[in-house]
Amino acid sequence: MGFNVHFDWTGSIGEVILGATKSDGGSRRVSYRIGGGTTLPFLDKNPSSPAPLIAFEICDNPVFWSPIIRNYCGELVNNLQEWAKAGDATYGADMIRLYLTSTRQRNFSDFPAVGKAVETALSATSLPLIIEGSNDPKIDSDIFQKCGEVGQGERLLLGTAEASRYRSIAAAALAYNHALIAQSPIDVNLAKQLNILLREIGIQRDHVVIDPYTGTLGYGFEYSYSAMERIRFSALKGDTDLAMPMISSAPDTLTIKEVREADLDGQDDMAVKWEFYTSLAAAVAGAEIVCVRHPKTIGMLKLAFASLKTGTGSMEVT
Amino acid sequence: MALKALDIYKLLPKKNCKECGDPTCLTFAMKLAGGKADVDLCPYLDDTSKTVLGATTRPPIRLVRIGVGERSFAVGEEFVLYRHEKTFYHPPGILFKVSDAQIPDEIASVTKRVRDESFIRVGADLRFNGIAIENTSNSADTFAKSVETVEKMADLPLVLISSSADALTAALAHCGTYRPLIHAATNKNFKGMCAVAKQHGCPLVIKARHLDELGQLAKDCTAEGVQDLVMDLSPASLRDFISLSTEIRQLAITRTAPDLGYPVYFDATAGGMQDAGIVIGILKYASVIVTNPLLPSSAKAALTLRQNVYTDPQKPIQMNPGLYRVGTPGKDAPVLMTVNFSLTFFTLEGYLESTRIPCFMLIVDTEGLSVLTAVAAGKLNEILVRDSLIKFGVESEVSHRSLIIPGYAAPLSGRIEEATGWKVLVGPRDAAEIGEFLNEEWKK
Amino acid sequence: MMRSITFLPSYRKIDVDRGTTILDAAQHAGLNINVVCGGLGKCGKCVVFVQSGKTEFDQQKHSRFFTEEELKNGACLACATSVQGDLLVFIPESTMIQEQKILIEGLETEIEFHPSVRKYYVELEPPTLANPSPDLSRLLWGIQKSGGPVAEKMYAPLETLREIPTMLRHSDWKVTGTIALVPGGYRLIDLQENDTSKRLYGAAIDLGSTTVVVYLWDLVSGKVVGVASNYNKQISCGEDILARVNFARKNGLSKLQALAAESINTALTTASNTAGIDRDDIYEVVVAGNTVMTHMLLGIDPAYMIAEPYVPVVRRALSVAANRLGIACNPNGGVFAFPAVSDFIGGDIIADILSCGMSESDGVSLLIDIGTNFEVVLGNKDWMFSCAGAAGPALEGGEVLFGMRANPGAIDKITIDPETLTPVFSTINGIKPRGITGSGLIDLLAELLSTCVIDRNGRINTGITNPRIRTSSHFPEFVVAWAQDSGIGKDIVITENDIKNLIMSKASVHAACVTLMKEAGISRHDISTIYFAGAFGNYLNKKNATTIGLIPEIPYDQIKNIGNGAVTGANIALINRRKRKTLDEIASKIAYIELNAEPAFMDEYTSSAFLPHTDLSLFPQVQKMLDACRIQRE
Repeated sequence: MGFNVHFDWTGSIGEVILGATKSDGGSRRVSYRIGGGTTLPFLDKNPSSPAPLIAFEICDNPVFWSPIIRNYCGELVNNLQEWAKAGDATYGADMIRLYLTSTRQRNFSDFPAVGKAVETALSATSLPLIIEGSNDPKIDSDIFQKCGEVGQGERLLLGTAEASRYRSIAAAALAYNHALIAQSPIDVNLAKQLNILLREIGIQRDHVVIDPYTGTLGYGFEYSYSAMERIRFSALKGDTDLAMPMISSAPDTLTIKEVREADLDGQDDMAVKWEFYTSLAAAVAGAEIVCVRHPKTIGMLKLAFASLKTGTGSMEVT
Repeated sequence: MALKALDIYKLLPKKNCKECGDPTCLTFAMKLAGGKADVDLCPYLDDTSKTVLGATTRPPIRLVRIGVGERSFAVGEEFVLYRHEKTFYHPPGILFKVSDAQIPDEIASVTKRVRDESFIRVGADLRFNGIAIENTSNSADTFAKSVETVEKMADLPLVLISSSADALTAALAHCGTYRPLIHAATNKNFKGMCAVAKQHGCPLVIKARHLDELGQLAKDCTAEGVQDLVMDLSPASLRDFISLSTEIRQLAITRTAPDLGYPVYFDATAGGMQDAGIVIGILKYASVIVTNPLLPSSAKAALTLRQNVYTDPQKPIQMNPGLYRVGTPGKDAPVLMTVNFSLTFFTLEGYLESTRIPCFMLIVDTEGLSVLTAVAAGKLNEILVRDSLIKFGVESEVSHRSLIIPGYAAPLSGRIEEATGWKVLVGPRDAAEIGEFLNEEWKK
Repeated sequence: MMRSITFLPSYRKIDVDRGTTILDAAQHAGLNINVVCGGLGKCGKCVVFVQSGKTEFDQQKHSRFFTEEELKNGACLACATSVQGDLLVFIPESTMIQEQKILIEGLETEIEFHPSVRKYYVELEPPTLANPSPDLSRLLWGIQKSGGPVAEKMYAPLETLREIPTMLRHSDWKVTGTIALVPGGYRLIDLQENDTSKRLYGAAIDLGSTTVVVYLWDLVSGKVVGVASNYNKQISCGEDILARVNFARKNGLSKLQALAAESINTALTTASNTAGIDRDDIYEVVVAGNTVMTHMLLGIDPAYMIAEPYVPVVRRALSVAANRLGIACNPNGGVFAFPAVSDFIGGDIIADILSCGMSESDGVSLLIDIGTNFEVVLGNKDWMFSCAGAAGPALEGGEVLFGMRANPGAIDKITIDPETLTPVFSTINGIKPRGITGSGLIDLLAELLSTCVIDRNGRINTGITNPRIRTSSHFPEFVVAWAQDSGIGKDIVITENDIKNLIMSKASVHAACVTLMKEAGISRHDISTIYFAGAFGNYLNKKNATTIGLIPEIPYDQIKNIGNGAVTGANIALINRRKRKTLDEIASKIAYIELNAEPAFMDEYTSSAFLPHTDLSLFPQVQKMLDACRIQRE
């Protein structure tokens, strides 16, 4: 006898290319093709199916960054060039995600500085980049225009489009051929609605990465987990408006009570474990890119993903 | 696939006799569809229909209880592959593993930790569930002694891991009446294992490499008289576990392979990536997870993940409405209104604490809906805010009359001002920005 | 000696005493034979044909009514023929009382005129020593002979009995009896001297929480003689239902009961005055109201019904004497109140169901009644699911900056020129615009969407250069009418916030429809008709309602407006007692689904809060149309 499991999937996850190498007109040493899944995460029989990517998050103004990271990384956080470089060479991330936190200052208008920050990141690492723009709709247009322009040819992943503000970022992505992150508040329907809005103003499906918003472990993670599962499920069932790869980042991880109030000597470990549990679970739900801020989480995730990807790290069989 | 109310209705007599306690056959059918009524309540149902209806309501995965008393836990009786389809009902037991080769003091300290340690989150008391004792010494006597050590200290559910029927018999002399889980019967030793399990009425793990072997073993063991089975899938890797466990869950819930309708056992210590193992085990349908004693960080994360995944997705966790204090707020402290969705509450509370500005949180009853949905559904409205201000006596707590409302509730600001007479400040949409907001807007 | 009679063409059979007239036998068999003269052999209307069997009939005496041919075929007058042996009797159709058919406003098919109350004028033989039967049986017998129900099936309550002896004698045995069909049988509710049989009226009432509507019927001719409406006077105790229930809790129910009755009385008076009739000639009042209104009118405390577990006190239809409720019609008249299903599915919705006929149809219908609250019923003759929810007042024009009810100056229809974005609209009474009604808002939303002024989320594209698109201090907005063209001296606009409110309202309604459909396991393809009831039912543009996703997409010609279904249903129940009898059955058939307890509802709601819907495959025609519009714009 023998059992056969049928899921009857009719769809697959669309593919998105991030980063452009020299041959594609960019300067990245690698370019990722993410997505393409045809079944639930880690069930693919093909051993060469890609493992989730790990993006290391940094920013251009560390005042807005967690003190845990500022303590751990020390002076590095004040030097964007070195910080980005370390994310690549020392910590071994697959991508660097730059938050332009400087734009969160009141009445921010120094747009050339934004271009400068993106340039710095591009020169510090040859990994594909994710660039997070402003938090303020009033300056969206200028910021995204600048980011798009500076990163022209590099196939950046630009963040973040929301249902209430997607036109500026979409315009920049269209003009300079970048991909973008479409973020909606933890709901499969809202995710789909935003994708439809983007489609209708001309963004191609292979330029969109879904961010269903990740509440960190213990703070709404279960909602995010189910939203991701539902998105993946709908895509595999043939809903092309949801058939894009997903990105997961839980920005609250380092500020929640469990991490903030951990003993000082155990605080890094708590931060790392919290990021690890959240990110791995997000990958199991279907995230193709997971983002972390603690350097030590990267190594741990890499090991786990390697085992999940190829089936190595074999377990003792008695 | 569960039957729809209308499909069930077609099988019912349609007499509206009310003998089942419902006003009409249709309402009874709706209850049956939702699993809220028993088929036998209808006196006029013929046997064929009863069989059809009964088959859809019997759980596809057997419920197995491990241990006895307060700390015992039951696993199995699950119905879905995705928690959003309904919910996951029975969280996996996570048990710390010790070896009988360890000195008794070490075993005792692990036992004490599992007995006493608890971690309170969102009003729930989170604990590890028991002790797994592995017979690595190969001595029946040592194994029995270790079990006795644990047994003396606590009434915890146990897993007895040994391939020796003699060792198990010796150990069961100490704990046989407390329903420990016996690990494990294989196609080679199942007769002896079943005899031991049957004698003490214990649940039994069956272990095989392939699903069809497992199915056969399950048949053999039930034929030997052991019904409470748990399955060890012998995964070759974490990836292999995901694949096997998903297949088994799918086969069981679709009733394609009734012989695989038992809970799953998973040893997270194998493979050298215990944290990853625990994550995968919790997410991918393991019901009994065995792990080495965890560091405080992993312990908290594991228990939190389990709590998250086994929360009913259809019921948002709610806070009690009321006036909460952050720090020791004075008469001039800001008052921030938000909803009683616990996630909203804890997130905001976390950020408020980190601002170090003492303040009041006015939590209004939106039945656990988030701000966005509560505004959309009309649950969050000016009347609710007005009544809550009065009910929780906010006026006597502060000397000012300014209320900060969530950014997503901005459309209500005018109406709240009218209804309450309070000045309304619209806060940020993102709780992370509350510190900045208070510093800039409140201090002005 | 019993004789057996078989009536053709119905083959109805009955056993009667030898000597009984054929007329009596027919009446006992439930066959209504036309007798204008009251069975005195004077009118010649009760012609039947005896096909076999022995009778006694004086052909000579009645020969003027027949041809030779007819007499040869056994023709006789039913009232003057006595049964002697077993008979086979044929009753021609022309001899039966013809059911009058009536077209009620808002209905496409005619309803048989068959009211529950009838008057019978009788001229009785005074009693003698030779004929000493009691007054009551003499009277009832006379009524039976005049075409009324069988005497044994009628009864007189004590109040009427007390009046009988004097009145019969005082009137020289010429009286008019009023017979009402009530749950206990046929009740002699009134007795008047002389012939008042032409003065019989009934009222059908929609008792709404805002307005009361009355249709006054002449129950002899089957014509509407007056219509009136006025505000529900309970408004002084609270704007909405909840406020009134709370008022009742604090101050008792009696004031609200009295105000409900008074509101009805005012409307009855207006209608009676218009028709020039006496209110005392109104013998029956049929009331369809929501559950709370009905409870209040009946003086039953609704307080326990509006809190969990939302159990109404009664689910059945009720008949009550009018004087016990303070309704100003004939004091012996009756009030019939529609049954209810739950706190939200009340008599008004049962009336909607009756008027659209969905409970008699094989096909599955979806009924939607929209006001501040909305109610949805899905089903057919075998089963029905219902639910209710808060739509928010946006669809009625509330919670929208320039929204208004359907009063003069309200914009009720709009189109927008896709090139210039200039709106073209009509207003109620054709005067300068003062605001926008619910139906106008639905048009507006659909037009803004198809002209790409708003996206599917309802956000205004401020990137479009057009003076009508601008950003006010709070929200982006679209100017519908400039100040100089409006009737209020300022620009009439719709803001992004208004649009959001509208989308939330329409999402609730659509999500409720889908929740019921899922409960029943059917898709939109299985729905044969969608019925719209409620305030804007009559004005609603079906295509636009579909375009914005207020209702599931089905072919437009299968969408029907039934307008004020509550009053239509009340009208039907007033003039057709057979339909009225089905009401309790309808009510008991409906299963109520509590949306708040339905976890899938919130999901459906989010999914529906998009134009027309997140799942575009549910709206293929709309999608095609919108794509075409977009291509045209580009």
